[in-house]
Amino acid sequence: MSRAATAALRDPLRGLSTWWTMLKICLEERLVYRGDFALGTLMRFLPIVTQVFLWTAVFSATSRSDIAGYSRNDIVAYYLLTMLTRAFSSMPGLAGGIARSVRDGSVKKFLIQPVDYVSFLLAARVAHKLVYYAVAVVPFGLVFFLCRSYFPPVPDATTIAAFLLSLVLSFLLGFFMEATLGMLGFWFMEVSSIVFGYMLVQYLLSGHMFPIDLLRTVPVGSGGVSLADVVHWLPFEYTAYFPSAVWLGKVRGPELLGSLAIEAAWVVAMAIACRIAWRRGTRRYAAFGG
Amino acid sequence: MNRYLSIFGTFARACLVRDMTFRANFILECVTSLGWMSMNLAFYLLVFTYTPEIGKGSGWSKAPFFAFVATGLIINAIVQAFFMPSAEELTEMVRTGGLDAVLVQPLDAQFLLSLHRVDFSSLANGLVGVGLLAWALGRMDHTPPAITWLLYPLLLLCGVAILYGLVIMLAAATILMGRNQSLYDFWFYLTNFSRYPAEIYAGPWGGPLRTVCTFVIPILLVVNVPARVIAQPLTGEAWGAVAAAVIAAIASLIASRLVFQRALARYRSASS
Amino acid sequence: MHNTDLGGMAGASEPVIHPVIHVAGLAKEYRVYDKPEGLAASIRALVHRTSRVVEAVKGIDLEVGRGEFVALLGPNGAGKTTLLKLLSGIITPSRGTATVLGHVPWERADEFRRRFALVMGQRNQLWWDLPAAESFRLHQEIYRIEPARFEKTRDELVDLLGVRRLVLQPVRELSLGERMKLELVAALLHEPEVLFLDEPTIGLDVVAQHTIHDFLRDVQRRRRMTVILTTHYMKDVAALCERVVVITRGEVLYDGSLAEIVDRFTTHKIVTLDLDEAPDRSRIERFGFPCEFRGPQVVLRIDRGRIADVLPEILGTTGVRDVSVEDVPLEQIVAELFRTDAREAAAAEAGR
Repeated sequence: MSRAATAALRDPLRGLSTWWTMLKICLEERLVYRGDFALGTLMRFLPIVTQVFLWTAVFSATSRSDIAGYSRNDIVAYYLLTMLTRAFSSMPGLAGGIARSVRDGSVKKFLIQPVDYVSFLLAARVAHKLVYYAVAVVPFGLVFFLCRSYFPPVPDATTIAAFLLSLVLSFLLGFFMEATLGMLGFWFMEVSSIVFGYMLVQYLLSGHMFPIDLLRTVPVGSGGVSLADVVHWLPFEYTAYFPSAVWLGKVRGPELLGSLAIEAAWVVAMAIACRIAWRRGTRRYAAFGG
Repeated sequence: MNRYLSIFGTFARACLVRDMTFRANFILECVTSLGWMSMNLAFYLLVFTYTPEIGKGSGWSKAPFFAFVATGLIINAIVQAFFMPSAEELTEMVRTGGLDAVLVQPLDAQFLLSLHRVDFSSLANGLVGVGLLAWALGRMDHTPPAITWLLYPLLLLCGVAILYGLVIMLAAATILMGRNQSLYDFWFYLTNFSRYPAEIYAGPWGGPLRTVCTFVIPILLVVNVPARVIAQPLTGEAWGAVAAAVIAAIASLIASRLVFQRALARYRSASS
Repeated sequence: MHNTDLGGMAGASEPVIHPVIHVAGLAKEYRVYDKPEGLAASIRALVHRTSRVVEAVKGIDLEVGRGEFVALLGPNGAGKTTLLKLLSGIITPSRGTATVLGHVPWERADEFRRRFALVMGQRNQLWWDLPAAESFRLHQEIYRIEPARFEKTRDELVDLLGVRRLVLQPVRELSLGERMKLELVAALLHEPEVLFLDEPTIGLDVVAQHTIHDFLRDVQRRRRMTVILTTHYMKDVAALCERVVVITRGEVLYDGSLAEIVDRFTTHKIVTLDLDEAPDRSRIERFGFPCEFRGPQVVLRIDRGRIADVLPEILGTTGVRDVSVEDVPLEQIVAELFRTDAREAAAAEAGR
């Protein structure tokens, strides 16, 4: 558990107010650069447009009515939903920012000031996301409204609850994975390549590129295990594929519960990894004088 | 001109020295960019297990489509290697005031700012692109006519020129806005449209999109025109596309120059 | 700091023959967007941002002749760096004219840019991951320096600063002082006629500062280079500059010789007496000057006009072993100058 969180338990009011101040500062900082924001949000929809056209072209040339259980409408809905889930789980600049702060020494600030770095980053990220949603709700709402005919009927309350839970978990999972990655900056001078490699695997195995169900036809070994089965146990698909599949009703019942458990377990594991990396990293930093 | 070439040589050498100093990182960069590319190729292979071609009657079946992808790889490798790293760094230079040091040097600022960093690892993808192109050409029903071998390199250059113009205009926006973190994102999203054959942009939404991306921001001419010349029969329409690509390349270069000059005139410099 | 010999430097600055730098009514305004305090205001700013115009430089007139070494002093935000940026053509002014070596700087003509250099103490212009030798080589190409001349100049500069062995080391491995020396070498390779130095000694230790002073003085004299220097260290000024231009709030407050600044802005000298033992205070206090006792040492502030009259009498006091007469330290004078100006500004503001 983070130091700020521990402090919050000991002295709830003061902990909260520290946290709230950090959040406010970050919000203000983000709002100054509104031009970037508006542009960024708009741009985010462009790749999906290409994907939709690509799949439309694929469906136009094939005699099948569905691909791996997805109709063309399902595919469109799927991509739109991964946009939404990625809005929760993607952490642009987080790992790189941490690594940079180590490299240029600005991380020292957090060794001196009575502020816990991981908590600070988390607060900053929550702020970043909140501001992003505040701006993005308009384009998102518009796109989802225009594309409503591609979606299946709104699912039942349990599915919606599971979907929301999976989204929150995907935010935490994305945060702790990237933060841990950034902490590698204590050991390696340039982590940009590692981050890039991570993004690559993430892009392929999170379901950002295509529904993971497409990998059911790709065998791993000869025991009847598919690549999709392997991916199921990795953290990646929980940052894009899983919440989308939940909304589309592709994961139900006990499988849904099991998947949520795996996702939660990964969140805890990565949070611990992040904490360990920070502790070891700062110790190393202090020892070698940055 | 000679002087600029030799200065560029010095830049390239310096970057190579740097890359070789951090050799492990360089190799890692090559590997990741190759990994990124092979992942995309794997995705296309996966798609082709479900369909014979991309777009009914478009002619982009497996082999021609991979020739298309290879063309895209080559063009993007050139842009990524020579222009993108500098443009990206420009954002940082504006923020920290490093641009000041550039402006006092007796050298064309646009030259210096668009070529001072070379990322050799990006060329790895280009090499794979060449290999992939050879593979795809051997597997195609259609044999390109002799003129293709003249047109194709020219059109590759046009593609590079169009993208270069766009990079520079984006960089100019960076100078004016003082900060633009989303430069690279913007670039990614914009070039994303050029990744697939133009034929997929059909229907009530696709048609206008195709028109805009051909005539307003000529991003669809970048890969499509050379790829079409090498992978599809040379029809009258194809010749029209060739003319459009050449005009777009020239226009892009001129426009970028004008925009960049204006941006520099309005540069306000970071306070120290 | 011993400035006893400052008076001797009066008149040392040569008469201005050719203005190398000519500035008239130069002004630069910035539009600044207010960053509102508080969350609600930030959100409001999404829709409407308020801006105001800040005049970084407002109507400066300046003439600098060939071979002058001018210090540009002023508190932070006074407009010194902005002025340097205008003169090097990095930014375009809002009003006014300027010529440097006969060129309008912001036209950025190559012939102009080949003839001056700008060194910024807080910014690194050398390639970070490479040895400085590579950056020098690049400079040679950019400034079209003849190979033979390039090597001669480089060796000369490198030896003057004693950094020959650092030239082949990656810049990132060097200390701040070493880096600054190499920056200076790079900037002087093309033998600029005009040199702008923006806080070149910032953050350096005393030894490095000293080396750089000697180096700059030497090179400047030999080449008859025109140098404008901004700094916050009065040691730089005392060591290098004959002429001082003080800028506050974008305007020239003082332009004249260093000696004159002392004359004009100080009313007294500092007299320090070393005595055999701690004196009887009343014996010293009876002269009627403000004084300070530090054991066997006494420091007196004596009006400049009366020093000749009083000094013999003071020396007549028994037990005086040694005496020194100094001007008020330059730091204090300048600090006082800035403070007075700030007070006047505040008063003007209040009166409005």
